[in-house]
Formats: sequence, C-alpha cells, structure tokens
Amino acid sequence: MNDRSFPMIRPCTWVYLLLMALTFFTWLVGMSGMSGFGISMLVLGLSLLKGQLIGDYYMGLKRVTSFWRWVIVIWLLLPGSLIGLAFYLSYS
Amino acid sequence: MKYQSQAVAKPYFIAAIGLFVGQIIFGLIMGLQYVWGDFLFPEIPFNVARMVHTNLLIVWILFGFMGAAYYLIPEETENELWSPKLALAMFWIFLVAGALTILGYLLVPYARLAELTMNELLPTMGREFLEQPTITKIGIVVVALSFLLNIGMTLLKGRKTVVSLVMVIGLTGLAVFFLFAFYNPDNLVRDKFYWWWVVHLWVEGVWELILGSILAFVLIKTTGVDREVIEKWLYVIIAMTLITGIIGTGHHYYWIGTPEYWQWWGSIFSAMEPIPFFMMTIFAFNMVNKRRRNHPNQAAVLWALGTAVMAFLGAGVWGFMHTLSPVNYYTHGTQITAAHGHMAFYGAYAMIVLTMISYSMPLMNGRKAANSNKSQVVEMWAFWLMTVSMVFITLFLTGAGILQTWMQRYTDTPMSFMEAQDKIALFYWMREFAGLVFLVGLVLYIVSFFVGRNDPEAVVEEKATA
Amino acid sequence: MSEPAAQAVIGEHDRPPGDLAIWIFICAELLVFAVFFASYAFARASHVELFNQWQQTLNRDYALLNTLALITSSYFVVRAIAAVRENRPDTGLRWLLGALAMGALFLAVKSMEYAEHYSHGINLRSNLFFMFYFSLTFFHFMHVLMGMLILGVNAAILRKGGYTAENHRGMETGGSYWHMVDMVWLILFPLVYVMR
Repeated sequence: MNDRSFPMIRPCTWVYLLLMALTFFTWLVGMSGMSGFGISMLVLGLSLLKGQLIGDYYMGLKRVTSFWRWVIVIWLLLPGSLIGLAFYLSYS
Repeated sequence: MKYQSQAVAKPYFIAAIGLFVGQIIFGLIMGLQYVWGDFLFPEIPFNVARMVHTNLLIVWILFGFMGAAYYLIPEETENELWSPKLALAMFWIFLVAGALTILGYLLVPYARLAELTMNELLPTMGREFLEQPTITKIGIVVVALSFLLNIGMTLLKGRKTVVSLVMVIGLTGLAVFFLFAFYNPDNLVRDKFYWWWVVHLWVEGVWELILGSILAFVLIKTTGVDREVIEKWLYVIIAMTLITGIIGTGHHYYWIGTPEYWQWWGSIFSAMEPIPFFMMTIFAFNMVNKRRRNHPNQAAVLWALGTAVMAFLGAGVWGFMHTLSPVNYYTHGTQITAAHGHMAFYGAYAMIVLTMISYSMPLMNGRKAANSNKSQVVEMWAFWLMTVSMVFITLFLTGAGILQTWMQRYTDTPMSFMEAQDKIALFYWMREFAGLVFLVGLVLYIVSFFVGRNDPEAVVEEKATA
Repeated sequence: MSEPAAQAVIGEHDRPPGDLAIWIFICAELLVFAVFFASYAFARASHVELFNQWQQTLNRDYALLNTLALITSSYFVVRAIAAVRENRPDTGLRWLLGALAMGALFLAVKSMEYAEHYSHGINLRSNLFFMFYFSLTFFHFMHVLMGMLILGVNAAILRKGGYTAENHRGMETGGSYWHMVDMVWLILFPLVYVMR
C-alpha cells in the first residue's frame, strides 16, 4: 500500500473523466449547431485523441513498443486524414 | 499412405483429370468460335459448348474436392474412412450422372432435354452454370449428402483438427448453398439475387475454406512446420474470407434491380476480399521459408506456392480491378469478367486440386514420399506451361476487355456489341493460341504420371538445422 | 506490487494484452470500419446539402447517452481486469457486470432511436445519408452485441473462478475487443452526428 493520505485516483479513472469531458464538448458543439471546416476538424481531432487514449490506456498499448501500438495510431491517423480531406473537399 | 481407405481418392482424382481434359477441349472449341462463328455449327453451337465447358469445370473440381477430402480426412482424423464402399459407389453414380448430363447437353436440344427429364415438375433448368436437369441436381445432392455423411462420421470417430474441421465446414457449406439451385423465383431480380447464393457464396465463400484447409494440409506435410502455427494462419485466413465475402456478395447486386445501397456495401466489403488471398500467399511462402525439412516432392511444393500466387492474382487482384461499382458500371459482363474468371478459377481451385493430386498420388501409388526426378521434372514443366499460358490468356482477355469497355460503353460514340467484337478479334486469336499451349501443358501433366514410374524416388538434401 | 496496478492492462513488451488472434480480428474489423468511415466522408462531400439537412434530424441526446455508456462500459472493463489482477475476483465480476449493463443500455437506446426513425417512415432506403447512417450504426450495433457475448463468456468464466491474478488472458482478450468497439463509436459519433 502507498503512503499517501488521500485515496489514489487510478490513471484509468483520469482517462475516463477526460473522455467524458471531451464527449460533452463534442455534444455541445453539436447542440450549438456550429459548422464549418475548422470546428469539424477540431471535433475530429478530439475524437482521434479519445481513440488514442483508449488505445494507450484501456487497451494497454502505451507500454507496448511495437507494431500493435502503431496499428492503432495509423488506424486513427489514416482514416482520420481521409475524413479530413473529404470534409475539406466538401467545403470548397 | 497411412490408411488403406485413403486409396479411394485415386479414382476421384483420375476422373477429375479426365473431365479437366474435356473441359479444355470445349474451351478451345469456344475460343475458335469467337473468331470463326460457324465452327462446328450446328452440331455444337457456342451455347452448348459453353454449358459443357463450365459444367465440366465444376464437376471435375467437385471430384477433386471429394478426392482431397477422402485422402486428407482419414489422415487428419487418424482413422480409416467410415465407408470406402459408399465412397466408391458415389463415385460411379456421380460419374455416370455427370456423363449422361453432358451427353444430354450435346445430343439433345435443351428444351427437349428439359421435357425428357421432367423439368416441369420442379423447374430448375435454364440458369447459367445450373443448366443441369433437375434430376441431375437431385443426384448431386444425394452424392453430396452421402459424401458428407462419410467424412462426417470419419471426423466424429477420430481426432478433430483445425484442418479437418475447416475442410468439413467448407464442404458442408458447399452442399448447403447448392440447395439454392433449387430455388427459382419467378421474379427476375430475386432469381438473380439467390443465384449468387450458390455461385458467390461458393467461390468467394465456402470454397475458400476448402482451399485454405487443403493448402494448410499440404504445407504441414511438406514443410514440417508446427501444426499450431499453420492452423493459426488458417483461422485468420478463413475469418477474413467470411468477414469480407459474405456481405461482399453485394458486388453482384449492383445492377440487377436491388436497392442502391448494395453499390456501397458491395464495393466496401468486396474491395477487401483480396486480403485472405494475400494472406494465403504470405502464409505459403513463409511456411516454406521456415521449413524444417526439404521434402522430396518438390513438385507439390511448387503447386502449393503457385496456387497461392495465382489465386491472389486471379481472384484477388483481377477481382479487385472490377469490383468497385463505379468501375463495374462500365466493365460488367465484358471480357474483363472473363479474364478474371479464368485466372481466378484456375489459380484458386484448379491448382489446389492439382496440388493435392501432386502430393498424394505418389503416396497412393506406393511411393514413400515422391515420384522420381524425371516424373517431377515433367510435372513441373506442365505446371509452368499451364500457369504461364493462363497468365497470357488472362492478359489477352484483359486487353480485349479494356478495349471492349472503352469502345462499347465509355466513349462518347459507343459501338455496337458486334462491331466491338470484330475490333478485338486479334486478342481472341492470341488467347486461342495461349489456350493451345495450356492444352500442351495439360497433356504433359498427364504424361508425368506415366514417365519415370520405374525410376527411383527423388531424394533431397537434409535441411541443415541451426 | 505494493500499489494498485498503474495500468490495469499491460502489454508485455511486444505483445498486446490478450490473445494475438483477437488482435488480428480487431485489425480486420478496424479496417472495415475505416473504409466505411472514409466512404461516408467522401459520399458526403458529393452530397453536402443532403447530409447537412438530414443530420439535423438525428437525436444527438441519445447519441451522447450512448457515447457515455460505451466509455463508461470500457472503463468498467478496465476496472474489472485491474481487480482480478489485484486478486479481487468478486469485485472484478461486479465491475464486469456493470460493463455489460452499460452495453445493454447502449443497445436499448440505439433500438429506441431506430424505432423512432421507423415510426417516421425513415429507413435504409430513404436517402443516401440514411443509408450510411443505418449501415454504419447497425454494423456497429452488431459488434456491440458480439462484444457483449464475449464479455458475457468472460463473466461466466470469472464467476466460476476461471481467471486468476496471474492468468486472466481471456479477460484481456475480451476487453481488447470491447475497447475496439468503443473506439469505433468514438469516431462514429462525431462523424455522423456532429461534423457538418
């Protein structure tokens, strides 16, 4: 057991709270009806961040230095970029 | 050969090769009819030659699959086949029924054949590849069920391995999906919808399970690589097959009158259908590289690797080329389709049957591991002649298809079908020539069974172990 | 270890947690969804008005609830594995059941959403946007079902004492698959419901 006098909050709990917060933010953007390339990319970027957090902390890939961590990174970046490109094209 | 009953595979394989020769002869007849329309008219019109060519293909491959199962299942399950007598009986029934059907196509006008075989009681004739009289189809079901019973009982009584389970699942799927050949809706859209439940779910579905398991079996035997490694690959390959191929059926639903969403679903899922074939190629080469021994049957190893490559090229790459709906809109039903179809069927299914024959025939003929050097050399020549000529057939048909698509559909001033056909005749001549080379290869293949019979078995160096 | 695992699931060096086979499966699924997402985005680029218009009719509140449910469910799975790792399998089981409950909540809310659409006569064939909406979300729905089945098996085995602090590979395997399902939704939600 550790020496701290207050209950330790696990890292996965911090991640959970962050994920919830980011989700609320996305929902608020939706409710506000904001549109446009900038806000869409912000929302997309946040969702990719959420994905990375799941990959690193929930799937336990943070400490896995190999191939598999890269699979998730690439899965987030590549389709993410394609989606970004498609949205960019749609605004022109 | 560890179990006496495995020998039952031999007649199946011999019949398969015999029917293969028939198939190629009729292929060559049609190839000539493409450029000389009246050839053998009216005795063997094009449409009759086509039925004979395609039906012989399916039947010889079915004989090959059944032979492969009769050889492989007893060895995998480590017990004798449940009923060799049943297997032999079904062999004769299938062969005779098949022969009569082909004779029916050749000797009797199709409509008359339908009358003679009482098609009106349960009409199933008249659809591509499913031209068989209803009674033949019923015969096929009886043969298939007996076959499944036989290998099923053998599996139940013996050791269950991944290879044998995947093979039996594939074969069961083959039988189940064939039942859709009996479902013949009046509505043309639904007719076509369900037709593909036989054809697509066979060749881009359960047949891939059969292909994978035979390939795995041959690789286990010839490389000595750990069974667990090979079986894990097999699982992954068939998982990808099913994930991509089931909804991938939608790539046949673009233009037949089904809802538009099939253009999306079919494109998205079928675009990924090459993946299992790609994996099979990596798998085959990887296993051979990691082999623990040099197997004396080098011909069989060549066939195995060749199957993986040609299946990937023909089914995977050529399939991908025309699978996306915006492309297919223009290429549908052109020589592009023929190009893909020939290389895919040869590369995946003809070659895997030939791989299995190559591996098992020497053993069934009393050899310890392989045929003589001389025999293998001739066999390998046959492999190269058939495979390279098939590549050329495919390339020529692809050229023809691209031109046809352009001239007949894409350009601003499209030509009629016949005008376009005239223009691409040169490709057809070249295809026919390649087809003749293929026949030479096939003849050489048969010769390989008869040369070097009395020569000693080939031997190879022991692989140096680390 | 003298303190709770800093991370509930830890990949060992090169290998991710759980069975390698599930990771191959995860890759395959991710690939299919990626292609689907990209297709959605590009289809949208050619039909911007249509997509913007009909996107407004989606129930964002349900989607929020669903996103929170899945994230919570994933969190519960992580806590479950941590508990088992710390030799508290009973606690682990409770967390796992909580995860399943959150998954069930997702399924229920999604079904309600579908019911509402159908009651307004909206379905797969209504227009291109709804074709994608229904295809994507239904495909995902099936994966949530599959994930719950796997977690259910995990729970059953855990209940019978099949997992120990040293060996709970099966839970890591099921958990990995579940996180994939969650991750896919985390992209789907903003893409289909919000981005315009």
